[in-house]
Amino acid sequence: MDVSILAINLVNGFLWGIILGFAAVGLTLLWGVMKVVNLAQGEAILMGSYVAIVLFSQYGISPLIGGLVALLVGLAAGFLIYWALLHKLVGKVEKITLKIEMSTLLAMFALSIALLNFYYYIFGSEPRGFGLWSIGLPFIRVLGTTIRTNILLADALALISVTIVYLFLDRTILGKSIRAVMQDAQAASLVGINPVKIKLLTTVLGIGLTVFSGFMVLLFEASVTPEIAYKYAPLGFVVVVLGGLGSVVGSLVAGIIIGIIYGLSKVVVSIFNPRISDPVALSTAFIVLILILLFKPEGIFGRKR
Amino acid sequence: MEDILVVENVTKRFGGLVANSKVTFSMKRGEILGLIGPNGAGKTTLFNVITGVYKPDEGRVIFKGEDITGKPPHVITRKGIAKTHQIVKPFNDMTVLENAMVGALFGKRAHQITIGEAKEIAYQSLELVGLAEKAEEFAVKLTLRQKKMLELARALSAEPELLLLDEVLAGLNPKEVEEALEIIKKVKEERDLSIIMIEHVMHAVMNIADRIVVLHFGWKIAEGTPEEVANNPEVITAYLGDPRYALRFVRRKGGEGDGSS
Amino acid sequence: MTGKESTLSHYLKSPTLIVIVFVVLGILIARILGMSTLDTLMTIMYFMGIALSLNIIMGFAGYVSFGHAVFLGLGGYAYVLLVYFVKPLAQLQNMGFGLGAFLVAVLAGLFAAVIAASVGAAVLRLRGAFFAIATIGLDFTALYLMKAIVPELNPEQFFGAQIILPADKIVEKDVVFNAMFLTLIILLAVNYYIRKSPFGVGLTAIKEDEDAAEVLGVPTTMFKIIAFTLAGFFAGMVGALFSLNGGGVDETLFNLGHSIDMIVMIVIGGLGTVLGPVVGSLIYFELYDLLLVHYPGVNLIILGIIVAIVVLFFPEGLIGLLRKYKVKGVRLRDLLE
Repeated sequence: MDVSILAINLVNGFLWGIILGFAAVGLTLLWGVMKVVNLAQGEAILMGSYVAIVLFSQYGISPLIGGLVALLVGLAAGFLIYWALLHKLVGKVEKITLKIEMSTLLAMFALSIALLNFYYYIFGSEPRGFGLWSIGLPFIRVLGTTIRTNILLADALALISVTIVYLFLDRTILGKSIRAVMQDAQAASLVGINPVKIKLLTTVLGIGLTVFSGFMVLLFEASVTPEIAYKYAPLGFVVVVLGGLGSVVGSLVAGIIIGIIYGLSKVVVSIFNPRISDPVALSTAFIVLILILLFKPEGIFGRKR
Repeated sequence: MEDILVVENVTKRFGGLVANSKVTFSMKRGEILGLIGPNGAGKTTLFNVITGVYKPDEGRVIFKGEDITGKPPHVITRKGIAKTHQIVKPFNDMTVLENAMVGALFGKRAHQITIGEAKEIAYQSLELVGLAEKAEEFAVKLTLRQKKMLELARALSAEPELLLLDEVLAGLNPKEVEEALEIIKKVKEERDLSIIMIEHVMHAVMNIADRIVVLHFGWKIAEGTPEEVANNPEVITAYLGDPRYALRFVRRKGGEGDGSS
Repeated sequence: MTGKESTLSHYLKSPTLIVIVFVVLGILIARILGMSTLDTLMTIMYFMGIALSLNIIMGFAGYVSFGHAVFLGLGGYAYVLLVYFVKPLAQLQNMGFGLGAFLVAVLAGLFAAVIAASVGAAVLRLRGAFFAIATIGLDFTALYLMKAIVPELNPEQFFGAQIILPADKIVEKDVVFNAMFLTLIILLAVNYYIRKSPFGVGLTAIKEDEDAAEVLGVPTTMFKIIAFTLAGFFAGMVGALFSLNGGGVDETLFNLGHSIDMIVMIVIGGLGTVLGPVVGSLIYFELYDLLLVHYPGVNLIILGIIVAIVVLFFPEGLIGLLRKYKVKGVRLRDLLE
């Protein structure tokens, strides 16, 4: 086997995995803290991509500033989603039962139907991106492969963001209260943490980060269609489950693992049959999901519950 | 009389925590056995081992001469052991009658009775515990006392021979406790039951039980009649703490009549 | 209060049965009199079929499967591959006014059922969102595997995962109608039977509190697997006949969109009843059409908003809502069972 093919796939898988991991950070927070599974994950990602695209193509605003605006839009969207959908379902309850979990699942799912079709309505199914701007970026050679700067930029931004989120949760009072609620909501409310405030904050943060990650997904993929919701959302679930609910670092590591598994299985399958390497490689990610769910449901970084 | 239940050397660990350690006792058919001990003594765990929710690490559970250790809960229920939950678990969006029907349909005569027969049995159980007029209400609307009684009716509908009651009296006021005790005595007589009850309402269990088993940190530290247990120095130090309490229990037992109904 | 009497009356009057018969006859009469096009009727039956199949596991047992389209897809592929490669089956399709196609669809459904039973034993150990996510995983696994396998079966003829049946291997659409009609009747009967049987009571207990159900003697694991297998079997049959009607199959049959359809219909109609999915699918069909005609382009956006409103404000769906009321002293809940 050609070593360079292996290297290319591993490097690509690694670089993609970072994006995959960061895109799932918001998902893991929402799921871990509030037991809310964001089925509109793919649509939230797309929101960030499209905000940056619109600002760039309509108003000529630099993609980097567009990315920042995407973050702000995401935070606002989180605020709206909390008060319009989630508060009624989880705001006042102390213990989130299976039934409530199902209601939030269905509510987020309704949001995903509406948003996805909104994108189709506004943007159609053609790929959209920064066009010439990203093509104009220089290339870098690593291990005999060429890597575009936009990918490195996306990865760098993702890593910086994960670090900031980690530090926020680990060092600040607000972050610590979020983690406290994640571990034991009832105990947290006993020591005076206002659960509604924490749930609101978690939703704003979770949705905000996911929307922000859409900007990096766009940088990485160079262009997006509404279809990528079907790729990033399910893979996001795989990442969260593998990394352990609520674990930011776990999410990043799991993203990288899934990226590398994808790269590796692609190489292995293409030895036998190159035509089917991509679908088989994607299905391995889901087989990993089911195996993890069955044998180590707390994930690699999660606590046993 | 034959032993209806024999618990032999049962040990159950959770990680490093030992919830039950070599617990051994047996009970005769028709007995009411009180299972007492401080919080965390392993009483509910022992119930869960008997009903098959947990598989013990060591030891055996023998019901009517048959080894039922580690059998799944639904199989054990069908053999004739029913249990009420410490924290009530009614099926909220079903009616009271439907709740009790679940017990009947999957109890002793599981897969042999029709829905109609199950309704009959369920209705009789509800009458027995005094919930008949609530039969068509949704279970979510019941008070705590009624939910406790629904737990009992659900268990009774399974037509068990051995009934495990996990703190049915907890959270009830003194008057309700007395009523519940009367109901328990009544169902025991009518259904010819053997009963094990976990209870913290001490005077009640001292009053109603024929014998008492005391658990402490997972170990059985005493067994005997209520008087024997209340006078057992080990129990007094480990559980009752203060000998005066023990005396009070014995006195109540004596003072509150003969206990038959 | 006389428990005995209410028992009897409860089973004598069952408007649910009347509604079901009415719906079935309605479809038949519309077909005979040519009041609707064949395609419209097929679509209605397809919607009702997928909703009723998911209802067995989601409505009764409370396990929301977001990947139920996987069985639609597996049934569709099984059917198309069977008639494509097995000559006797291709011939069987044409026999007996649709009975032949029905029988081949049963084979396809059995294939889906076998997969459902084997994966069900594993994924049904998961609860709530974990189960939902695992089923999405199943759906995607099957989708990608089908993309990988199908082109290898006949590299000259199959492009991607798409298989188009040649003219000599498909049947007339009115024959497909008959087979689908028969499937729907059986599916309705199975749903109705479950609702009325101890099995259904057990499933409802599982939905309410699985641990309590287990201790009360409900064989939870077995019941869940049976329900999941039945749900997979019927989704497989519907997928098979849907593909036959379309003259072939492609990977879009695995789309999450189909799972979305099923869930939305059950949620609108109301979980845990037979009437819920029936009424839900009729409403959904009308709504879908109405929105499409009046608000093309934004129809699905509006649909999403409607679903959100239903989930937030009428979580029990239409039938669930009606069940709470009394009309002239008669509790509607007794009538809608």
